[in-house]
Amino acid sequence: MGTFFHRHRGATPYLLLAPGVLWLAIFFVIPLAFLGYESLQSGLFPNFEFTWQFSNFSDGIRDYHTQLLRSFVYAGIATLACLVLAYPLVYWIAFRAGAWRNLFLLFIVAPFFVTYLVRTLAWLNILADEGPVVGILRDLHILGPDGRLLATTFAVVSGITYNFFPFMALPIYVSLEQMDARLLEAAKDLYASPIQAFIRVTLPLSAPGIVAGTLLTFIPAAGDFINAALLGTPNQAMIGNVIQSKFLESLDYPSAAALSFILMGLILVALLVYARIVGSERLTG
Amino acid sequence: MTTVAALPPRARRSVASRTWAFVKRHALTVYALLVVGYLMLPIAVVIMFSFNHPTGRFNYVWNEFTFSNWFHWNDVLGIQDAIVRSLEVGLLATIVATALGTLMALAIVRHHFVGRGATNVLVFLPMSTPEIVLGASLLTLFLNTTAVFQLGFITIFIAHVMFIVSFVVVTVKARLIGFDRHLEEAAMDLGANEVTTFRKVTLPLIAPAMLAAALLGFALSIDDFVITYFNAGGTQTFPIFVWGIARVAVPPQVNVIASAIFIVAIAIALTNVFWEYRSAKRTRGAT
Amino acid sequence: MNPRLTRNELLRRGAAGGALLAFPSLLAACGGGGGDSSSSGEVNDVLNFSNWPYYIDTPDSLKAAGLTGVPTTLKQFETKTKIKVNYYEDINSNSEYFGTIQGRLRNGDGIGRDIIVSTDNDRYLGQYLNNDWALKLDKDLIPNISNLIPAQASPPFDPNREYTLPWFSGMDGIAWNEEVTEPITTVTQLLTDPKLKGRVGVWNSMGDTLGLIMLENGDDPAKVTDETFDRAIAVVQKAQDAGQIRRFYGNDYAQPLAKGDLAASMAWSGDIFLLNDPKVKWGIAKSGGIIFTDNMLIPLGGSVPTASTYMNFVYDPKIAAQLALGAGYISSVAGVKDEAAKLNPDAADNTLVFPTDEMLGQLHQNDPTMFSNPDYEKKWLAVQGK
Repeated sequence: MGTFFHRHRGATPYLLLAPGVLWLAIFFVIPLAFLGYESLQSGLFPNFEFTWQFSNFSDGIRDYHTQLLRSFVYAGIATLACLVLAYPLVYWIAFRAGAWRNLFLLFIVAPFFVTYLVRTLAWLNILADEGPVVGILRDLHILGPDGRLLATTFAVVSGITYNFFPFMALPIYVSLEQMDARLLEAAKDLYASPIQAFIRVTLPLSAPGIVAGTLLTFIPAAGDFINAALLGTPNQAMIGNVIQSKFLESLDYPSAAALSFILMGLILVALLVYARIVGSERLTG
Repeated sequence: MTTVAALPPRARRSVASRTWAFVKRHALTVYALLVVGYLMLPIAVVIMFSFNHPTGRFNYVWNEFTFSNWFHWNDVLGIQDAIVRSLEVGLLATIVATALGTLMALAIVRHHFVGRGATNVLVFLPMSTPEIVLGASLLTLFLNTTAVFQLGFITIFIAHVMFIVSFVVVTVKARLIGFDRHLEEAAMDLGANEVTTFRKVTLPLIAPAMLAAALLGFALSIDDFVITYFNAGGTQTFPIFVWGIARVAVPPQVNVIASAIFIVAIAIALTNVFWEYRSAKRTRGAT
Repeated sequence: MNPRLTRNELLRRGAAGGALLAFPSLLAACGGGGGDSSSSGEVNDVLNFSNWPYYIDTPDSLKAAGLTGVPTTLKQFETKTKIKVNYYEDINSNSEYFGTIQGRLRNGDGIGRDIIVSTDNDRYLGQYLNNDWALKLDKDLIPNISNLIPAQASPPFDPNREYTLPWFSGMDGIAWNEEVTEPITTVTQLLTDPKLKGRVGVWNSMGDTLGLIMLENGDDPAKVTDETFDRAIAVVQKAQDAGQIRRFYGNDYAQPLAKGDLAASMAWSGDIFLLNDPKVKWGIAKSGGIIFTDNMLIPLGGSVPTASTYMNFVYDPKIAAQLALGAGYISSVAGVKDEAAKLNPDAADNTLVFPTDEMLGQLHQNDPTMFSNPDYEKKWLAVQGK
């Protein structure tokens, strides 16, 4: 068999690729095509007909632009929060943690190991109206006497931030870790203050990590619905909630399909804009 | 007499400036510890409440400590099936996805071929598509091909392989890019053909990356809710079970299972870290 | 031995072990699900029954009802008929359950169940019946159908009771946490009292929530028109805009209510019974309540004789009484209160499970045509932010 591969060297990459590409083609690309087909259908469950119903798209934007906008805003805030929270932590792990670094990396990843739903439900416990956290905040007059944390935008965005934190932290860590510490030394030798060294050396070198982390956090966050469902009110409903309820509650598959494409389209637009700013090789590697 | 320009002498440091220096020095550490506390808080709550004996159906107020939830972890109807199903799907999907993904990574990194860029994009796309779209589109496929695909274990398996493959490719690719090809060339110079070289040289060297990718894939599979939710039919994996029971009341056994998964995962992660450390030592020694 | 290969070995062995573990599931999946039912004319020796959680008597719930040591109704059925029951509590929502099975039903396939349960004041029961996805009951095997109370004999969706039989009914009312608020007895107070702002729960099911509001508006929920619908929606919208409503709940309002995150909520009688928390009180709203009924039906691919045998069994007043006491919901079987009194006289006085005639007089049913109106559906989802 070794000679077979030797003689068909040119075919090797295609043979290696075949199973994986086939799987993705059948179970990723084709479903999207089906979804596209469905987005142009109309009618009531279960009798849908293909009628080039482009109005599904315009209706979707008209009816749900609030939720669409809200999803991107929430995802954006959460991504920013993740970045601000994660960067100092990861910086510390890369440069100051020494022997403890693997342990702290484990701490970052650990929440990942508790089922997504269960850890979101834990926040219901922690932020409960009659619980200790709200109690303390009320005593400190940060919250009014009737104030609450749950069923608010704050709760939903916090939930998203918490759940996607590792996706931001780890890529930044990888790029910081690969940085040559001598560059910082060189900066110091050239009379740069710690802050200058950070801004002009560390930050740019960690840019690939920041880019990767931002994408890995923002994209899934924009389509999330669980945090909004468990931690928010209908005023926090995101586009994911709409799509889920259209698919599984109203059985309005055409509208749901159209909304899915609108969401994907908007994300792709955001991606393209981002790619122009940072350079596309960084994205697809 | 000329003197070389010298830096100004260090000013004598007052208590205030020394304290400030101390704070500055350790502020980052304190911050790091606070963030870690924030990350661990819900986990601690989950584990703590797995030992709670609730007064009624609801497990939100600490009542009294008990081990009975852990002993009677499968008392809740459906929970055992759910976690078994999750493990089965996870194992199967991870194995298949790791195999497919590794092969793809090898092709992409080591060969220049027509369509390489397109393949990169194809691999990247599932990671950049929101889960809800992945799940819903797959559901659409299955609903239109019910003769072939019945919603259930098989469709969950298919869905999981689909979204894990991309992560495997990215992980293994990263390792392959830094791979030293001289070892393979040496093997071939010694008379081994492509397949033998692959088996005896390449595969063992990328095994750690494959293992890391497999662990990541397994974690993703066990934890997946959205994609599975759309494609499970009546079959329940653990996350789906939790979503259902959360509508009414979450029994402490759910905390038990979640804690158990967590503990096992941490143990495996620690083992992997340890092995990587040992293998790194050996590679350094072997050249 | 080369240490690198040992890890490789582990990978391989692990893979083999994992594949072995998964193999049985694969086989089962290829076979189309465990315990396949067939629609032959014979009574099978297995019954597959899907139901809501906490909707049947269990040893614990029987103990709480003072019936220690009595075997559960499922056990009694198994003993009497030698039919084994696979009982699944996988219905958590009419819509989600429908979503998981409609693909197969659309294709004409069975779902591996003989009996499933669906609520009458939601759109899905109508979907099952209108799409011919339910099989006709074998009434010859259900002589006890004569015990069905007259009020349930002829519902609009199944006038001759050919496809469905009630499992349990429940009452829609208002519950409040008395440690957090004074008693809430009207829908208006629930939805407009500023003291309750942000701590009020309503249901995400149209019939229940809008039904109560229509009654408060003086409209008839059993005869819905566009005006009465819009009037009810306007009330919800106003409460939403004022931030009064915390969330639109399914069954999951009970925990926040007991916790105090909710001060008051629209609530189902059975949930409050099960909650058994002295600080959570329940009552029918002053302007009236809605009564809903969960119906048993036989989906495609189910075994009609086996399912009918079971339905006959639970329509025996003695069994129905035990079920009612154990689950805490309202039975549609005549004579059930007297039988319950024989089992436990105190428990039979519980009006949540055995409502008085006066209470029944305050209860109304929803208009089933309301649920198949896509316009109404859209408006209802819109007010929920969906």
